[in-house]
Amino acid sequence: MNIIEIKDLSFSYQDEIDALSNVTLSVKKGEWVSILGHNGSGKSTLSKLIIGLLKADSGEIKVDGVILNEESVHDIRRKIGIVFQNPDNQFVGVTVEDDIAFGMENLCFEQSDIIDKIKEYAEKVSMSEYLKKEPHALSGGQKQRVAIAGILAMKTDIIIFDEATSMLDPKGRESIMNYIKEINKAGVTVITITHDMKEAVLSDRIIILKEGRVIACGDTNDILNDKETLNSSNLELLLPLKLQYLLDEANLSNDKVKDILWQLSLNK
Amino acid sequence: MKNIIIGQYLPGTSFLYKMDPRSKIIALMILMISTFILKDVTHILIMLGVVLLILKIGGIPIARIARGLKPIMILLLFTFTFQIIFIKTGTLIFDAELTLTVFTLPLMIFIILFWYLTRRYIKFKFLYLLITAFGILTMLALYTPGSVLSSSTLEVYGDGLSGAFFIMVRLIIIVTLSTILTLTTKPTDLNLGLEKILKPLSIIRINAEEIAMIISIALRYIPTLLDEANKIMLAQASRGVDFTEGKLKDKVMQIISLLVPMFIISFKRSDDLANAMEARSFVPGKRRTRLHTLSWHNLDTTVIVFCIFIFISAITVRVMF
Ligand SMILES: Nc1ncnc2c1ncn2[C@@H]1O[C@H](COP(=O)(O)OP(=O)(O)OP(=O)(O)O)[C@@H](O)[C@H]1O
Ligand SMILES: [Mg+2]
Repeated sequence: MNIIEIKDLSFSYQDEIDALSNVTLSVKKGEWVSILGHNGSGKSTLSKLIIGLLKADSGEIKVDGVILNEESVHDIRRKIGIVFQNPDNQFVGVTVEDDIAFGMENLCFEQSDIIDKIKEYAEKVSMSEYLKKEPHALSGGQKQRVAIAGILAMKTDIIIFDEATSMLDPKGRESIMNYIKEINKAGVTVITITHDMKEAVLSDRIIILKEGRVIACGDTNDILNDKETLNSSNLELLLPLKLQYLLDEANLSNDKVKDILWQLSLNK
Repeated sequence: MKNIIIGQYLPGTSFLYKMDPRSKIIALMILMISTFILKDVTHILIMLGVVLLILKIGGIPIARIARGLKPIMILLLFTFTFQIIFIKTGTLIFDAELTLTVFTLPLMIFIILFWYLTRRYIKFKFLYLLITAFGILTMLALYTPGSVLSSSTLEVYGDGLSGAFFIMVRLIIIVTLSTILTLTTKPTDLNLGLEKILKPLSIIRINAEEIAMIISIALRYIPTLLDEANKIMLAQASRGVDFTEGKLKDKVMQIISLLVPMFIISFKRSDDLANAMEARSFVPGKRRTRLHTLSWHNLDTTVIVFCIFIFISAITVRVMF
Protein backbone atom coordinates (compact mmCIF):
# COMPACT_ATOMS: atom_id res chain seq x y z
CA MET A 1 0.00 0.00 0.00
CA ASN A 2 1.29 3.46 -0.87
CA ILE A 3 1.48 5.74 2.13
CA ILE A 4 2.64 8.71 0.04
CA GLU A 5 1.49 9.25 -3.52
CA ILE A 6 2.58 12.26 -5.52
CA LYS A 7 1.20 12.97 -8.96
CA ASP A 8 2.44 15.56 -11.47
CA LEU A 9 3.63 17.93 -8.78
CA SER A 10 5.06 21.26 -9.94
CA PHE A 11 6.26 24.13 -7.85
CA SER A 12 8.24 27.32 -8.30
CA TYR A 13 9.36 29.98 -5.84
CA GLN A 14 8.69 33.56 -6.92
CA ASP A 15 10.96 33.22 -9.95
CA GLU A 16 9.99 31.57 -13.22
CA ILE A 17 12.39 28.60 -12.92
CA ASP A 18 10.59 25.54 -11.59
CA ALA A 19 12.09 24.18 -8.39
CA LEU A 20 10.09 21.03 -9.11
CA SER A 21 8.39 20.04 -12.34
CA ASN A 22 5.98 17.17 -12.93
CA VAL A 23 7.22 15.05 -10.07
CA THR A 24 5.42 11.74 -9.77
CA LEU A 25 6.44 9.19 -7.18
CA SER A 26 5.15 6.98 -4.44
CA VAL A 27 6.38 5.56 -1.18
CA LYS A 28 5.10 2.28 0.19
CA LYS A 29 4.13 1.84 3.79
CA GLY A 30 7.02 0.59 5.92
CA GLU A 31 9.57 1.23 3.23
CA TRP A 32 12.89 3.14 3.43
CA VAL A 33 13.35 5.41 0.45
CA SER A 34 16.27 7.70 -0.33
CA ILE A 35 15.82 10.87 -2.29
CA LEU A 36 19.12 11.57 -3.93
CA GLY A 37 20.08 14.74 -5.78
CA HIS A 38 22.68 17.44 -6.23
CA ASN A 39 22.53 20.81 -4.42
CA GLY A 40 19.49 22.76 -5.52
CA SER A 41 17.81 19.77 -7.15
CA GLY A 42 14.65 20.40 -5.16
CA LYS A 43 14.88 17.81 -2.40
CA SER A 44 14.08 20.12 0.48
CA THR A 45 11.38 21.80 -1.55
CA LEU A 46 9.75 18.41 -2.10
CA SER A 47 9.76 17.60 1.59
CA LYS A 48 8.21 20.97 2.45
CA LEU A 49 5.48 20.36 -0.11
CA ILE A 50 4.69 16.94 1.38
CA ILE A 51 3.88 18.41 4.79
CA GLY A 52 2.10 21.40 3.33
CA LEU A 53 4.55 24.13 4.27
CA LEU A 54 4.60 25.14 0.62
CA LYS A 55 1.63 25.06 -1.70
CA ALA A 56 2.03 23.27 -5.02
CA ASP A 57 1.34 25.14 -8.25
CA SER A 58 -0.21 22.00 -9.71
CA GLY A 59 -0.44 18.33 -8.99
CA GLU A 60 -1.64 16.27 -6.07
CA ILE A 61 -0.20 14.81 -2.88
CA LYS A 62 -1.90 11.97 -1.03
CA VAL A 63 -0.75 10.86 2.39
CA ASP A 64 -2.26 7.68 3.81
CA GLY A 65 -5.07 7.93 1.29
CA VAL A 66 -5.95 11.53 2.16
CA ILE A 67 -5.45 14.33 -0.33
CA LEU A 68 -3.37 17.17 1.09
CA ASN A 69 -5.35 20.41 1.23
CA GLU A 70 -6.05 23.16 3.71
CA GLU A 71 -8.42 21.06 5.78
CA SER A 72 -6.37 17.90 5.92
CA VAL A 73 -2.98 19.53 6.40
CA HIS A 74 -3.01 19.40 10.21
CA ASP A 75 -4.01 15.75 10.29
CA ILE A 76 -1.35 14.91 7.76
CA ARG A 77 1.32 16.74 9.73
CA ARG A 78 0.52 14.56 12.73
CA LYS A 79 1.53 11.54 10.66
CA ILE A 80 4.80 12.95 9.35
CA GLY A 81 7.87 14.02 11.27
CA ILE A 82 10.58 15.91 9.47
CA VAL A 83 14.10 16.71 10.56
CA PHE A 84 15.18 19.80 8.66
CA GLN A 85 18.53 20.54 7.15
CA ASN A 86 19.56 23.49 9.33
CA PRO A 87 19.66 22.44 12.98
CA ASP A 88 19.93 26.00 14.24
CA ASN A 89 16.67 27.18 12.75
CA GLN A 90 14.55 24.36 14.09
CA PHE A 91 15.55 24.57 17.72
CA VAL A 92 12.36 25.87 19.32
CA GLY A 93 12.94 25.16 23.00
CA VAL A 94 14.95 27.21 25.43
CA THR A 95 16.81 24.07 26.50
CA VAL A 96 17.47 20.65 24.98
CA GLU A 97 14.69 18.98 26.96
CA ASP A 98 12.23 21.73 26.05
CA ASP A 99 13.05 21.26 22.41
CA ILE A 100 12.65 17.48 22.47
CA ALA A 101 9.33 18.01 24.27
CA PHE A 102 7.98 20.59 21.83
CA GLY A 103 6.50 18.20 19.25
CA MET A 104 5.07 15.91 21.91
CA GLU A 105 3.46 18.87 23.66
CA ASN A 106 1.76 19.82 20.41
CA LEU A 107 0.52 16.27 19.96
CA CYS A 108 -0.90 16.43 23.51
CA PHE A 109 1.15 13.59 25.00
CA GLU A 110 0.70 13.10 28.74
CA GLN A 111 3.25 14.98 30.84
CA SER A 112 4.67 11.80 32.42
CA ASP A 113 4.94 10.25 28.97
CA ILE A 114 6.82 13.32 27.70
CA ILE A 115 9.30 13.09 30.56
CA ASP A 116 9.93 9.37 29.91
CA LYS A 117 10.33 9.89 26.18
CA ILE A 118 12.77 12.77 26.62
CA LYS A 119 15.00 10.45 28.64
CA GLU A 120 14.60 7.58 26.21
CA TYR A 121 15.34 9.51 23.04
CA ALA A 122 18.07 11.71 24.47
CA GLU A 123 19.76 8.44 25.31
CA LYS A 124 19.28 7.17 21.76
CA VAL A 125 21.08 10.17 20.27
CA SER A 126 23.68 10.33 23.10
CA MET A 127 22.52 13.69 24.42
CA SER A 128 21.48 12.63 27.93
CA GLU A 129 24.08 14.80 29.63
CA TYR A 130 22.95 17.91 27.83
CA LEU A 131 19.24 18.00 28.70
CA LYS A 132 19.44 21.31 30.57
CA LYS A 133 21.78 22.99 28.08
CA GLU A 134 20.80 25.91 25.93
CA PRO A 135 21.19 25.71 22.17
CA HIS A 136 23.96 28.31 21.90
CA ALA A 137 26.10 26.08 24.07
CA LEU A 138 25.79 23.17 21.63
CA SER A 139 27.72 22.29 18.48
CA GLY A 140 26.00 21.92 15.11
CA GLY A 141 26.10 18.14 15.31
CA GLN A 142 24.66 18.16 18.81
CA LYS A 143 21.80 20.38 17.69
CA GLN A 144 21.18 17.96 14.86
CA ARG A 145 20.99 15.11 17.37
CA VAL A 146 18.46 17.05 19.43
CA ALA A 147 16.35 17.70 16.35
CA ILE A 148 16.40 13.99 15.52
CA ALA A 149 15.41 13.04 19.07
CA GLY A 150 12.56 15.56 19.02
CA ILE A 151 11.11 14.03 15.86
CA LEU A 152 11.65 10.39 16.85
CA ALA A 153 9.87 11.03 20.15
CA MET A 154 6.74 12.12 18.30
CA LYS A 155 6.36 8.54 17.05
CA THR A 156 4.97 9.51 13.67
CA ASP A 157 4.19 6.92 10.98
CA ILE A 158 6.49 8.60 8.49
CA ILE A 159 9.80 10.33 9.19
CA ILE A 160 11.68 12.45 6.68
CA PHE A 161 15.36 13.13 7.36
CA ASP A 162 16.55 16.08 5.26
CA GLU A 163 20.33 15.68 5.36
CA ALA A 164 19.82 15.19 9.06
CA THR A 165 23.23 13.68 9.70
CA SER A 166 25.31 16.12 7.65
CA MET A 167 27.08 17.55 10.68
CA LEU A 168 27.61 14.33 12.60
CA ASP A 169 30.98 12.64 12.91
CA PRO A 170 31.29 9.24 11.18
CA LYS A 171 30.60 7.33 14.36
CA GLY A 172 27.57 9.43 15.24
CA ARG A 173 26.26 9.08 11.71
CA GLU A 174 26.65 5.33 11.80
CA SER A 175 24.78 5.00 15.06
CA ILE A 176 21.93 7.21 13.81
CA MET A 177 21.80 5.26 10.55
CA ASN A 178 21.62 2.02 12.50
CA TYR A 179 18.82 3.45 14.57
CA ILE A 180 16.96 4.55 11.46
CA LYS A 181 17.24 0.99 10.18
CA GLU A 182 15.84 -0.23 13.48
CA ILE A 183 12.76 2.01 13.50
CA ASN A 184 12.21 1.20 9.84
CA LYS A 185 12.18 -2.51 10.72
CA ALA A 186 9.68 -1.68 13.44
CA GLY A 187 7.31 -0.36 10.79
CA VAL A 188 8.06 3.36 10.41
CA THR A 189 8.19 4.61 6.85
CA VAL A 190 11.49 6.43 6.39
CA ILE A 191 12.53 8.92 3.73
CA THR A 192 16.15 10.04 3.85
CA ILE A 193 17.15 13.00 1.73
CA THR A 194 20.82 13.16 0.85
CA HIS A 195 23.40 13.82 -1.81
CA ASP A 196 25.64 11.17 -0.35
CA MET A 197 25.33 7.87 -2.17
CA LYS A 198 26.90 6.04 0.76
CA GLU A 199 23.80 6.82 2.79
CA ALA A 200 21.43 6.08 -0.05
CA VAL A 201 22.64 2.53 -0.58
CA LEU A 202 21.30 1.61 2.86
CA SER A 203 17.71 2.18 1.78
CA ASP A 204 15.30 -0.12 -0.05
CA ARG A 205 14.66 2.23 -2.89
CA ILE A 206 16.28 5.30 -4.44
CA ILE A 207 14.64 8.24 -6.17
CA ILE A 208 17.02 10.55 -8.01
CA LEU A 209 16.17 14.20 -8.57
CA LYS A 210 17.94 16.43 -11.03
CA GLU A 211 17.00 20.04 -11.57
CA GLY A 212 13.55 19.47 -10.13
CA ARG A 213 12.75 16.33 -12.11
CA VAL A 214 12.71 12.68 -11.16
CA ILE A 215 15.29 11.08 -13.41
CA ALA A 216 15.31 7.66 -11.83
CA CYS A 217 13.29 5.67 -9.37
CA GLY A 218 13.72 2.05 -8.43
CA ASP A 219 15.20 -0.60 -6.17
CA THR A 220 18.59 0.35 -4.82
CA ASN A 221 20.40 -2.44 -6.70
CA ASP A 222 18.78 -1.57 -10.01
CA ILE A 223 19.64 2.10 -9.61
CA LEU A 224 23.25 1.29 -8.78
CA ASN A 225 23.56 -0.74 -11.96
CA ASP A 226 22.07 2.05 -14.06
CA LYS A 227 25.33 3.59 -15.14
CA GLU A 228 23.97 6.15 -17.57
CA THR A 229 21.49 7.70 -15.15
CA LEU A 230 23.99 7.87 -12.35
CA ASN A 231 26.57 9.48 -14.55
CA SER A 232 24.10 12.10 -15.69
CA SER A 233 22.86 12.91 -12.17
CA ASN A 234 25.76 15.23 -11.17
CA LEU A 235 26.32 13.08 -8.10
CA GLU A 236 29.60 11.92 -6.69
CA LEU A 237 29.74 8.17 -7.35
CA LEU A 238 30.90 5.72 -4.73
CA LEU A 239 34.44 4.53 -5.19
CA PRO A 240 33.54 0.82 -5.56
CA LEU A 241 30.89 1.82 -8.06
CA LYS A 242 33.36 3.85 -10.12
CA LEU A 243 35.73 0.95 -9.99
CA GLN A 244 33.09 -1.46 -11.13
CA TYR A 245 32.15 0.72 -14.10
CA LEU A 246 35.75 1.18 -15.14
CA LEU A 247 36.54 -2.50 -14.78
CA ASP A 248 33.52 -3.35 -16.88
CA GLU A 249 34.96 -1.29 -19.69
CA ALA A 250 38.57 -2.43 -19.38
CA ASN A 251 40.17 -5.60 -20.53
CA LEU A 252 41.04 -7.15 -17.25
CA SER A 253 44.81 -7.28 -17.51
CA ASN A 254 46.63 -6.80 -14.24
CA ASP A 255 48.43 -3.68 -15.39
CA LYS A 256 45.19 -2.08 -16.47
CA VAL A 257 43.59 -2.72 -13.08
CA LYS A 258 46.58 -1.19 -11.32
CA ASP A 259 46.39 1.77 -13.61
CA ILE A 260 42.72 2.30 -12.88
CA LEU A 261 43.22 1.97 -9.15
CA TRP A 262 45.98 4.56 -9.25
CA GLN A 263 43.89 6.97 -11.25
CA LEU A 264 40.97 6.60 -8.89
CA SER A 265 42.98 7.12 -5.76
CA LEU A 266 44.61 10.19 -7.28
CA ASN A 267 41.28 11.64 -8.30
CA LYS A 268 39.84 11.08 -4.89
CA MET B 1 25.51 39.05 27.43
CA LYS B 2 24.91 35.37 26.88
CA ASN B 3 23.57 35.08 30.38
CA ILE B 4 20.33 36.51 29.21
CA ILE B 5 18.58 33.13 29.35
CA ILE B 6 19.80 32.38 32.83
CA GLY B 7 19.29 36.03 33.61
CA GLN B 8 20.28 36.95 37.11
CA TYR B 9 19.27 33.55 38.41
CA LEU B 10 21.20 32.61 41.54
CA PRO B 11 20.95 28.89 42.28
CA GLY B 12 19.72 28.05 45.76
CA THR B 13 17.44 25.87 47.83
CA SER B 14 15.61 28.17 50.24
CA PHE B 15 11.84 28.51 50.45
CA LEU B 16 11.96 31.17 47.73
CA TYR B 17 13.14 28.51 45.30
CA LYS B 18 10.46 26.06 46.34
CA MET B 19 7.66 28.50 45.66
CA ASP B 20 5.54 28.43 42.55
CA PRO B 21 6.42 31.35 40.23
CA ARG B 22 2.76 32.34 40.25
CA SER B 23 2.66 32.80 44.00
CA LYS B 24 5.96 34.64 43.87
CA ILE B 25 4.65 37.09 41.30
CA ILE B 26 1.42 37.60 43.22
CA ALA B 27 3.27 38.01 46.53
CA LEU B 28 5.55 40.55 44.90
CA MET B 29 2.56 42.53 43.65
CA ILE B 30 0.87 42.54 47.05
CA LEU B 31 4.02 43.63 48.85
CA MET B 32 4.68 46.37 46.31
CA ILE B 33 1.17 47.75 46.63
CA SER B 34 1.49 47.59 50.42
CA THR B 35 4.71 49.57 50.21
CA PHE B 36 2.98 52.24 48.16
CA ILE B 37 0.13 52.45 50.62
CA LEU B 38 2.45 53.34 53.51
CA LYS B 39 2.98 57.03 54.08
CA ASP B 40 5.07 57.18 57.24
CA VAL B 41 8.82 56.80 57.75
CA THR B 42 8.45 54.44 60.73
CA HIS B 43 6.06 52.17 58.85
CA ILE B 44 8.22 52.03 55.77
CA LEU B 45 11.18 51.13 57.98
CA ILE B 46 9.16 48.24 59.42
CA MET B 47 8.44 47.20 55.83
CA LEU B 48 12.14 47.37 55.07
CA GLY B 49 12.67 45.13 58.09
CA VAL B 50 10.19 42.62 56.65
CA VAL B 51 12.02 42.65 53.34
CA LEU B 52 15.36 42.16 55.08
CA LEU B 53 13.82 39.27 56.99
CA ILE B 54 12.72 37.69 53.70
CA LEU B 55 16.27 38.08 52.41
CA LYS B 56 17.67 36.52 55.57
CA ILE B 57 15.33 33.52 55.58
CA GLY B 58 15.60 33.21 51.81
CA GLY B 59 19.38 33.06 52.08
CA ILE B 60 20.01 35.80 49.56
CA PRO B 61 23.26 37.69 50.14
CA ILE B 62 22.74 41.43 50.63
CA ALA B 63 25.69 42.00 48.28
CA ARG B 64 23.65 40.59 45.39
CA ILE B 65 20.81 42.97 46.18
CA ALA B 66 23.24 45.87 46.39
CA ARG B 67 24.44 44.96 42.93
CA GLY B 68 20.84 45.11 41.78
CA LEU B 69 20.52 48.58 43.29
CA LYS B 70 23.52 49.92 41.43
CA PRO B 71 21.70 50.97 38.25
CA ILE B 72 19.23 53.05 40.25
CA MET B 73 21.86 54.80 42.39
CA ILE B 74 21.74 57.88 40.20
CA LEU B 75 17.96 57.92 40.39
CA LEU B 76 18.14 57.59 44.18
CA LEU B 77 20.64 60.42 44.43
CA PHE B 78 18.56 62.60 42.16
CA THR B 79 15.31 62.12 44.07
CA PHE B 80 17.15 62.60 47.33
CA THR B 81 18.64 65.93 46.25
CA PHE B 82 15.39 67.01 44.68
CA GLN B 83 13.43 66.36 47.88
CA ILE B 84 15.96 68.14 50.07
CA ILE B 85 16.16 71.22 47.89
CA PHE B 86 12.48 71.73 47.17
CA ILE B 87 10.65 70.75 50.33
CA LYS B 88 10.70 73.71 52.66
CA THR B 89 8.36 72.72 55.49
CA GLY B 90 8.98 71.45 59.00
CA THR B 91 11.82 72.50 61.22
CA LEU B 92 14.96 74.01 59.79
CA ILE B 93 17.72 71.55 60.51
CA PHE B 94 20.65 72.99 58.73
CA ASP B 95 21.50 76.01 56.64
CA ALA B 96 24.63 77.20 55.00
CA GLU B 97 25.66 80.07 52.81
CA LEU B 98 27.12 78.82 49.55
CA THR B 99 29.31 81.38 47.83
CA LEU B 100 30.98 81.12 44.50
CA THR B 101 33.99 83.44 44.19
CA VAL B 102 36.66 84.04 41.57
CA PHE B 103 38.87 81.63 43.48
CA THR B 104 36.44 78.87 44.21
CA LEU B 105 35.09 78.68 40.67
CA PRO B 106 38.37 77.51 39.08
CA LEU B 107 39.00 75.33 42.13
CA MET B 108 35.64 73.71 41.66
CA ILE B 109 36.32 73.10 37.98
CA PHE B 110 39.67 71.64 38.91
CA ILE B 111 38.11 69.22 41.43
CA ILE B 112 35.51 68.09 38.91
CA LEU B 113 38.20 67.57 36.29
CA PHE B 114 40.27 65.65 38.80
CA TRP B 115 37.30 63.47 39.65
CA TYR B 116 36.57 62.89 36.00
CA LEU B 117 40.12 61.78 35.21
CA THR B 118 40.69 59.64 38.28
CA ARG B 119 37.32 57.97 38.72
CA ARG B 120 38.18 55.04 36.46
CA TYR B 121 40.91 53.99 38.89
CA ILE B 122 38.65 54.07 41.93
CA LYS B 123 36.80 50.91 42.88
CA PHE B 124 33.85 52.47 44.68
CA LYS B 125 32.85 54.92 42.00
CA PHE B 126 29.58 55.96 43.54
CA LEU B 127 31.13 56.65 46.91
CA TYR B 128 33.85 58.63 45.16
CA LEU B 129 31.23 60.72 43.40
CA LEU B 130 29.47 61.40 46.70
CA ILE B 131 32.71 62.39 48.41
CA THR B 132 33.61 64.72 45.56
CA ALA B 133 30.18 66.35 45.61
CA PHE B 134 30.33 66.71 49.35
CA GLY B 135 33.83 68.16 49.12
CA ILE B 136 32.69 70.81 46.65
CA LEU B 137 29.73 71.74 48.83
CA THR B 138 31.91 72.09 51.93
CA MET B 139 34.36 74.22 50.04
CA LEU B 140 31.60 76.49 48.79
CA ALA B 141 30.24 76.83 52.30
CA LEU B 142 33.49 77.51 54.12
CA TYR B 143 36.03 79.06 51.82
CA THR B 144 35.11 82.56 50.60
CA PRO B 145 38.06 84.77 49.65
CA GLY B 146 37.97 87.04 46.61
CA SER B 147 35.11 88.83 44.98
CA VAL B 148 31.77 87.01 45.10
CA LEU B 149 30.32 85.82 41.79
CA SER B 150 27.07 84.48 43.18
CA SER B 151 25.75 83.13 46.41
CA SER B 152 22.75 81.20 47.64
CA THR B 153 21.63 79.52 50.81
CA LEU B 154 21.25 75.79 51.22
CA GLU B 155 18.50 75.04 53.72
CA VAL B 156 17.61 71.56 54.81
CA TYR B 157 14.23 71.14 56.53
CA GLY B 158 13.00 68.25 58.60
CA ASP B 159 10.26 67.29 56.16
CA GLY B 160 12.66 67.45 53.25
CA LEU B 161 15.08 65.13 54.94
CA SER B 162 12.46 62.65 56.09
CA GLY B 163 10.70 62.82 52.71
CA ALA B 164 13.95 62.14 50.91
CA PHE B 165 14.69 59.28 53.24
CA PHE B 166 11.17 57.89 52.84
CA ILE B 167 11.29 57.90 49.06
CA MET B 168 14.72 56.35 49.05
CA VAL B 169 13.66 53.50 51.31
CA ARG B 170 10.54 52.95 49.25
CA LEU B 171 12.55 52.72 46.04
CA ILE B 172 15.02 50.37 47.66
CA ILE B 173 12.18 48.11 48.85
CA ILE B 174 10.57 47.99 45.40
CA VAL B 175 13.83 47.18 43.64
CA THR B 176 14.82 44.65 46.26
CA LEU B 177 11.50 42.85 45.94
CA SER B 178 11.76 42.52 42.19
CA THR B 179 15.40 41.52 42.46
CA ILE B 180 14.37 38.73 44.82
CA LEU B 181 11.96 37.50 42.16
CA THR B 182 14.53 37.49 39.36
CA LEU B 183 17.28 36.05 41.53
CA THR B 184 15.23 33.07 42.59
CA THR B 185 13.20 32.33 39.46
CA LYS B 186 14.53 31.15 36.10
CA PRO B 187 13.23 33.25 33.20
CA THR B 188 11.51 30.19 31.76
CA ASP B 189 9.60 29.63 35.02
CA LEU B 190 8.86 33.31 35.29
CA ASN B 191 7.51 33.20 31.77
CA LEU B 192 5.36 30.18 32.56
CA GLY B 193 4.10 31.85 35.74
CA LEU B 194 3.19 35.04 33.89
CA GLU B 195 1.44 32.99 31.24
CA LYS B 196 -0.78 31.33 33.82
CA ILE B 197 -1.49 34.58 35.65
CA LEU B 198 -2.40 36.36 32.43
CA LYS B 199 -4.61 33.51 31.28
CA PRO B 200 -7.86 35.23 32.35
CA LEU B 201 -7.03 37.92 29.78
CA SER B 202 -8.31 35.54 27.11
CA ILE B 203 -11.71 37.07 27.84
CA ILE B 204 -10.51 40.24 26.16
CA ARG B 205 -8.91 38.12 23.41
CA ILE B 206 -5.35 38.41 24.61
CA ASN B 207 -3.71 35.03 24.23
CA ALA B 208 -1.27 34.71 27.11
CA GLU B 209 0.06 31.41 25.82
CA GLU B 210 1.11 32.96 22.54
CA ILE B 211 2.75 35.90 24.28
CA ALA B 212 4.64 33.48 26.51
CA MET B 213 5.71 31.46 23.46
CA ILE B 214 7.01 34.60 21.77
CA ILE B 215 8.95 35.58 24.89
CA SER B 216 10.51 32.14 25.23
CA ILE B 217 11.55 32.09 21.57
CA ALA B 218 13.02 35.56 21.95
CA LEU B 219 14.94 34.30 25.00
CA ARG B 220 16.16 31.35 22.98
CA TYR B 221 17.30 33.42 19.99
CA ILE B 222 18.93 36.46 21.61
CA PRO B 223 22.25 34.68 22.23
CA THR B 224 22.21 33.21 18.73
CA LEU B 225 21.60 36.62 17.18
CA LEU B 226 24.34 38.17 19.31
CA ASP B 227 26.69 35.49 18.04
CA GLU B 228 25.63 36.32 14.54
CA ALA B 229 26.19 40.04 15.07
CA ASN B 230 29.64 39.22 16.34
CA LYS B 231 30.41 37.15 13.27
CA ILE B 232 29.20 39.86 10.93
CA MET B 233 31.28 42.45 12.73
CA LEU B 234 34.34 40.25 12.41
CA ALA B 235 33.60 39.65 8.75
CA GLN B 236 33.18 43.37 8.10
CA ALA B 237 36.29 44.15 10.13
CA SER B 238 38.30 41.75 8.00
CA ARG B 239 37.11 43.74 5.00
CA GLY B 240 38.39 46.95 6.54
CA VAL B 241 35.37 48.31 8.40
CA ASP B 242 36.51 49.83 11.66
CA PHE B 243 33.82 49.63 14.32
CA THR B 244 35.80 51.45 16.96
CA GLU B 245 36.44 54.85 15.49
CA GLY B 246 35.33 57.21 12.77
CA LYS B 247 33.14 60.22 12.35
CA LEU B 248 29.42 60.13 12.96
CA LYS B 249 28.77 59.49 9.27
CA ASP B 250 31.13 56.51 9.29
CA LYS B 251 29.51 55.22 12.45
CA VAL B 252 26.09 55.32 10.82
CA MET B 253 27.43 53.42 7.81
CA GLN B 254 29.00 50.84 10.12
CA ILE B 255 25.75 50.32 11.95
CA ILE B 256 23.90 49.94 8.68
CA SER B 257 26.45 47.40 7.51
CA LEU B 258 25.64 45.45 10.65
CA LEU B 259 21.88 45.89 10.70
CA VAL B 260 21.11 44.98 7.10
CA PRO B 261 22.60 41.49 7.25
CA MET B 262 21.13 41.03 10.74
CA PHE B 263 17.65 41.77 9.46
CA ILE B 264 18.00 39.45 6.50
CA ILE B 265 19.31 36.64 8.70
CA SER B 266 16.54 37.16 11.25
CA PHE B 267 13.83 37.03 8.62
CA LYS B 268 15.24 33.87 7.09
CA ARG B 269 15.55 32.37 10.55
CA SER B 270 12.05 33.23 11.62
CA ASP B 271 10.70 31.80 8.40
CA ASP B 272 12.56 28.52 8.94
CA LEU B 273 11.59 28.46 12.58
CA ALA B 274 7.91 28.95 11.82
CA ASN B 275 8.19 26.09 9.34
CA ALA B 276 9.87 23.85 11.88
CA MET B 277 7.20 24.66 14.47
CA GLU B 278 4.34 24.00 12.09
CA ALA B 279 5.95 20.80 10.87
CA ARG B 280 5.98 19.64 14.48
CA SER B 281 2.22 20.13 14.56
CA PHE B 282 2.20 23.46 16.34
CA VAL B 283 -1.07 25.28 15.71
CA PRO B 284 -1.35 28.69 17.38
CA GLY B 285 -4.08 28.81 19.97
CA LYS B 286 -4.64 25.08 19.99
CA ARG B 287 -4.49 23.14 23.24
CA ARG B 288 -1.17 21.52 24.01
CA THR B 289 0.17 19.63 26.98
CA ARG B 290 3.25 20.93 28.76
CA LEU B 291 6.50 19.45 29.91
CA HIS B 292 6.79 21.97 32.70
CA THR B 293 3.72 22.50 34.80
CA LEU B 294 3.35 24.48 37.96
CA SER B 295 2.13 23.11 41.24
CA TRP B 296 0.79 25.13 44.12
CA HIS B 297 1.85 23.91 47.56
CA ASN B 298 0.91 24.81 51.12
CA LEU B 299 4.02 26.96 51.23
CA ASP B 300 2.57 29.15 48.48
CA THR B 301 -0.69 29.58 50.31
CA THR B 302 1.15 30.42 53.54
CA VAL B 303 3.25 33.07 51.82
CA ILE B 304 0.25 34.62 50.12
CA VAL B 305 -1.68 34.69 53.41
CA PHE B 306 1.32 36.37 55.05
CA CYS B 307 1.45 38.96 52.26
CA ILE B 308 -2.26 39.64 52.53
CA PHE B 309 -1.77 40.11 56.27
CA ILE B 310 0.89 42.72 55.52
CA PHE B 311 -1.38 44.35 52.99
CA ILE B 312 -4.22 44.62 55.49
CA SER B 313 -1.83 45.94 58.14
CA ALA B 314 -0.61 48.54 55.66
CA ILE B 315 -4.15 49.71 54.98
CA THR B 316 -4.92 49.77 58.70
CA VAL B 317 -1.90 51.89 59.66
CA ARG B 318 -2.59 54.20 56.74
CA VAL B 319 -6.17 54.77 57.88
CA MET B 320 -5.44 54.87 61.63
CA PHE B 321 -2.42 57.16 61.72
N1 LIG C 1 13.03 30.28 -0.15
C1 LIG C 1 13.39 30.20 -1.44
N2 LIG C 1 13.12 31.23 -2.29
C2 LIG C 1 13.47 31.14 -3.59
N3 LIG C 1 14.10 30.10 -4.14
C3 LIG C 1 14.39 29.04 -3.36
C4 LIG C 1 14.06 29.04 -1.97
N4 LIG C 1 14.47 27.88 -1.44
C5 LIG C 1 15.05 27.18 -2.45
N5 LIG C 1 14.99 27.86 -3.61
C6 LIG C 1 15.49 27.39 -4.90
O1 LIG C 1 14.80 26.21 -5.24
C7 LIG C 1 15.70 25.24 -5.78
C8 LIG C 1 15.61 23.95 -4.99
O2 LIG C 1 16.05 24.18 -3.67
P1 LIG C 1 16.07 23.07 -2.53
O3 LIG C 1 16.36 23.76 -1.27
O4 LIG C 1 14.83 22.28 -2.62
O5 LIG C 1 17.32 22.19 -2.99
P2 LIG C 1 17.96 20.94 -2.28
O6 LIG C 1 17.87 19.80 -3.24
O7 LIG C 1 17.36 20.73 -0.94
O8 LIG C 1 19.48 21.37 -2.16
P3 LIG C 1 20.53 21.07 -1.00
O9 LIG C 1 21.17 19.78 -1.32
O10 LIG C 1 21.50 22.19 -1.14
O11 LIG C 1 19.81 21.08 0.29
C9 LIG C 1 17.07 25.87 -5.77
O12 LIG C 1 17.36 26.29 -7.07
C10 LIG C 1 16.95 27.04 -4.84
O13 LIG C 1 17.74 28.10 -5.30
MG1 LIG D 1 18.00 20.85 1.00
